[in-house]
Amino acid sequence: MAQTIKLEVVTPERPVFSAEVAEVQFPTASCGYYGILPGHTPVMTEVGDGLLYYIQEGQKHWLTVFGGFAEVGPESVMVLARESETMDMIDLERAEASRQRALKLLKEAQTEHDMALAQAKLDASLIRLQAAGHPAGHGF
Amino acid sequence: MASLQDIRRRIRSVKNTQQVTKAMKMISAVKLRKSQERLVALRPYASKMAEVVRRVVVRIKGDAEIQPGPAAQAFLSPREEKRIRLVFVASDKGLCGGFNANVAKAATAFVAHCPSEIVHLDVVGKRAVEWAKKQKLTPTKEYLNIPLPGLQRVVTEISASASAQYHDGEIDALYVVYNYFNSPVAQTPTVLRVFPMELDPSFEGKEAGQVSHLLEPDPNAVLETLLPRFVETELLRNLLESSASEHGARMAAMDKASNNAGEMIAKLTLTMNKIRQAGITNQIIEIVSGANA
Repeated sequence: MAQTIKLEVVTPERPVFSAEVAEVQFPTASCGYYGILPGHTPVMTEVGDGLLYYIQEGQKHWLTVFGGFAEVGPESVMVLARESETMDMIDLERAEASRQRALKLLKEAQTEHDMALAQAKLDASLIRLQAAGHPAGHGF
Repeated sequence: MASLQDIRRRIRSVKNTQQVTKAMKMISAVKLRKSQERLVALRPYASKMAEVVRRVVVRIKGDAEIQPGPAAQAFLSPREEKRIRLVFVASDKGLCGGFNANVAKAATAFVAHCPSEIVHLDVVGKRAVEWAKKQKLTPTKEYLNIPLPGLQRVVTEISASASAQYHDGEIDALYVVYNYFNSPVAQTPTVLRVFPMELDPSFEGKEAGQVSHLLEPDPNAVLETLLPRFVETELLRNLLESSASEHGARMAAMDKASNNAGEMIAKLTLTMNKIRQAGITNQIIEIVSGANA
């Protein structure tokens, strides 16, 4: 049996990642985190917002994913994400600014809809900050 | 015959026009490249999305235990098409050859021969609005002056509401009329049914023997979320195709215009030189005959 799985992450904007990895874990929309090792049963599921990690040559690497689909096979994991970023694509300053903005919006929110929107924005910025190892992201 | 002064003036004016068309061609070339890049970047995603959809559909079709929900029907067994939603995509600006005229012709033919009722019409671009006015159709929603990065938002909006409408039984199909991007110089007006999806029957036999996927949390939930995503991707692709086509068409039209202007300048310059030469000859004859007298 194969010792590695081929992880592919693509978004409508660009192919984000494609390589052989030893292990993958990604957030799903409804069933918590999925950890995938080589030889996994084929599964198809919806991807949630959060951090995906993969282990390559003993090193853990992180990617952000925001919504989408994942197709898991015994030798491959394909993630069709609505949005996804590698670590070096994240702009720390922008994420921090967007966190501040979201916090402000959350305070000012009048309706439940506004509140949900602001919360979603805050979550997204926190995921990015956490991915980049920023202290503000760790309370998440 | 026109005077020297008139011809000089005309040459100057044609030269100005040529400068404008040349600049427009250059701008279109840059915009074409941008649209094309987005289109190329989307392609791997779109093809994988189609692959996933196909697998899920084959999987659900092959399993008698699964009761398809309303979303699943969009992919599996189309309902009779009584009410449809149409998205018509043209451009905001003219000066792009037959781009708008051709796609409008295709849309007109489609509307004329469509047996079902169009209950919802989305138009993208100013020229599309004009077309709807001419056809005495009232667009439900108009999308004007959408920049390239704004397309995603439009697409999300349309696909979310279209999926909901299908779910509620308000529409039975979603059609898009747009310009398909063959190459920078060739566009084909295309009518596409986004859903219900047409499944190539040859896939079914091929994939039936493969391992079937578990669908988490359950098959209908997966399809329910897959449908809007798939529609989104397809629409985004169509809009990008249209945008790339538009800039390609404008580039070709402006190239032609610049060439025509060049030809005109050459012709006018020739006439001008002839008149000038004739004038000089006349003056020489006058001087010579004056000296002789």
